[in-house]
Amino acid sequence: MTPLIQIDQVSQTFNRHQPDEVQALRDVSLDLQTGETTVLTGPSGSGKTSLLSLIGCMARPTSGRVHLEQREVTRLPERFLAEVRRENFGFVFQQFNLLRDLTVTDNILLPLTPTSLPAREMRNRAEEVLERFDLTRRATLKVRQLSGGEQQRVAIARALINRPRVLIADEPTAHLDHALAEGLMELLSSLKTDGTTLILASHDPFVIDHPLIDRRVQLHDGALA
Amino acid sequence: MTRQWKLLDYALASLLRRKGKNLSILVIYTLTVATLASVLFLTQSLRQEATKVLSGGPDLVVQRLMAGRHELVPLNYADPIRKLPGVKSVQPRVWGYYYDSLKKVNLTLMGLPAEPEILVLLEGERPSKGQEIAVGRGIADTYGFGVGDSLLLIDAAGEKQLYRITGLFETGSDLLTNDLILFPEAELRRFFAMPTNRATDLAVSVYNPREVATLAQKVRYHLPDSRPIGKTEILHTYDTVFHWRSGMLLTVSLAALIAFCILAWDKATGISADERREIGILKAVGWDTTDVLALKFWEGLAVSLVAFLLGTILAWTHTYVFGAGLLAPVIQGWSVLFPDFDLTPSVDLYQLFILGMLTVTPYIACTVIPSWKAAITDPDSVMRS
Ligand SMILES: Nc1ncnc2c1ncn2[C@@H]1O[C@H](COP(=O)(O)OP(=O)(O)OP(=O)(O)O)[C@@H](O)[C@H]1O
Ligand SMILES: [Mg+2]
Repeated sequence: MTPLIQIDQVSQTFNRHQPDEVQALRDVSLDLQTGETTVLTGPSGSGKTSLLSLIGCMARPTSGRVHLEQREVTRLPERFLAEVRRENFGFVFQQFNLLRDLTVTDNILLPLTPTSLPAREMRNRAEEVLERFDLTRRATLKVRQLSGGEQQRVAIARALINRPRVLIADEPTAHLDHALAEGLMELLSSLKTDGTTLILASHDPFVIDHPLIDRRVQLHDGALA
Repeated sequence: MTRQWKLLDYALASLLRRKGKNLSILVIYTLTVATLASVLFLTQSLRQEATKVLSGGPDLVVQRLMAGRHELVPLNYADPIRKLPGVKSVQPRVWGYYYDSLKKVNLTLMGLPAEPEILVLLEGERPSKGQEIAVGRGIADTYGFGVGDSLLLIDAAGEKQLYRITGLFETGSDLLTNDLILFPEAELRRFFAMPTNRATDLAVSVYNPREVATLAQKVRYHLPDSRPIGKTEILHTYDTVFHWRSGMLLTVSLAALIAFCILAWDKATGISADERREIGILKAVGWDTTDVLALKFWEGLAVSLVAFLLGTILAWTHTYVFGAGLLAPVIQGWSVLFPDFDLTPSVDLYQLFILGMLTVTPYIACTVIPSWKAAITDPDSVMRS
């Protein structure tokens, strides 16, 4: 079976040729299969977020190649990459990257704004997702008025509104208490059952050791351990 | 279609989110448009007015030159002109200027019955006896007089003369009658101490307006010291004057334009970190470059269109309701020529369209182009920077 995502000798260097040059990834090669649930682990600064960005087509590597279903995305022009992102990935950022002055609903609906989906359909989807994440009562609040845990749930809700085939989540339980974390893992399990490919980064043992996880990838100082 | 509506909706919402900044831009921008449009309306109305004045005037005016200067015309100059084929009538006119140093206005004094056309506009009695006059609206307003009041003027001999107002030219906006005082001709001659066998000029009307140029040539042939001026020539002179005036107005416009450029430059030199981050996020959640640019386009269009409309309305009000008061220092020359008169609204849609293009397009460019770079960059680096 050909892998969904192939990462081939990828390196990522920030601030190249400058005094503060950082090599975030060194020569990483990794295949990810459709439907598989993978978790990236490793100490802080080991390159987990950098690798997820490459997988989700949010950035380009300094060297090496990334293939999505045999198609090399590394060299694709930006306008095609946008389409690739939209049609394949839902991304939960470590820092959430929500628009703090927009309401919860508006944030969740952002991915659907530049589509031809009618407004009514958008509202229905928003209600459904809000319900699922227990955010209905927060729907009209501005994001900056929310707690960290609530913001995290908004970020996850936004990633799922587009019904992506691949969900990428960077430290999804970082701001959740145990009960919420359990709820999230249940949700991820049901997504997995529906065939969604899950790629997580975490150093939360609860996530790493969860029965849902098929594969654990350990990063150390930018390289696979 | 749905997609563009939703983007427009989002654009309006995000303008409201940055209320403070966008409101100040809108204000500056509206004032810029208002200044430019005021200048436009004003020149347009004045030009319109001049054209109207002249379309009622004589086809050909014959003056006399002596030593290169305007001289009084002997009445018998009318005879050879009258004999030219194609000439309908020749009417000697007695008129001149009078400067009132107290009110600091220039008035036009004209003798009856030189210009029968304008009598149509008169309300009240026409002046018939000596010491009777009819005046234009502008004069009545300047002096605060009406029919029955008396106006004091100083004649050529330096004597104070009291004239009773018997009629008014009510059409307040008409340049022709606005600063006009109509006298019985004999009285005006006396006032100016003008010899009875002379006139200020001769008004010639012709059967075929296309023959004016040829007739002018013939007049000069028969009367070598005459200066015949065709209506088109007068129009031309008026236009030159207006263009010269427009030149001064251009200075104001330029000032406004500079303000606008500063604004544009401020926008063009970069988008805020906040805006960059937002673009990064939008791209990360699946917007593509064209979506982001469309969003910026709608933002720019909304602001500039609103500014354009508000500015135009403001300019209209300023020019036609408040008589272009704020432009007064620049157009002072006019108020000497014509004591203040109401402008007739006159709008050149084509010019307005050009103004719209000149203000809306650059603003949209200033909104879209700086976002371009952020819109084509990987979301990861946009969000982090
Ligand atoms: N845009 C950037 N510019 C400069 N350096 C960067 C950039 N992004 C990441 N780095 C650096 O690359 C290294 C790896 O960062 P990364 O965020 O991938 O680590 P991480 O494993 O996700 O850490 P954490 O567990 O703390 O989230 C770090 O040293 C970080 O400082
Ligand atoms: Mg990280």
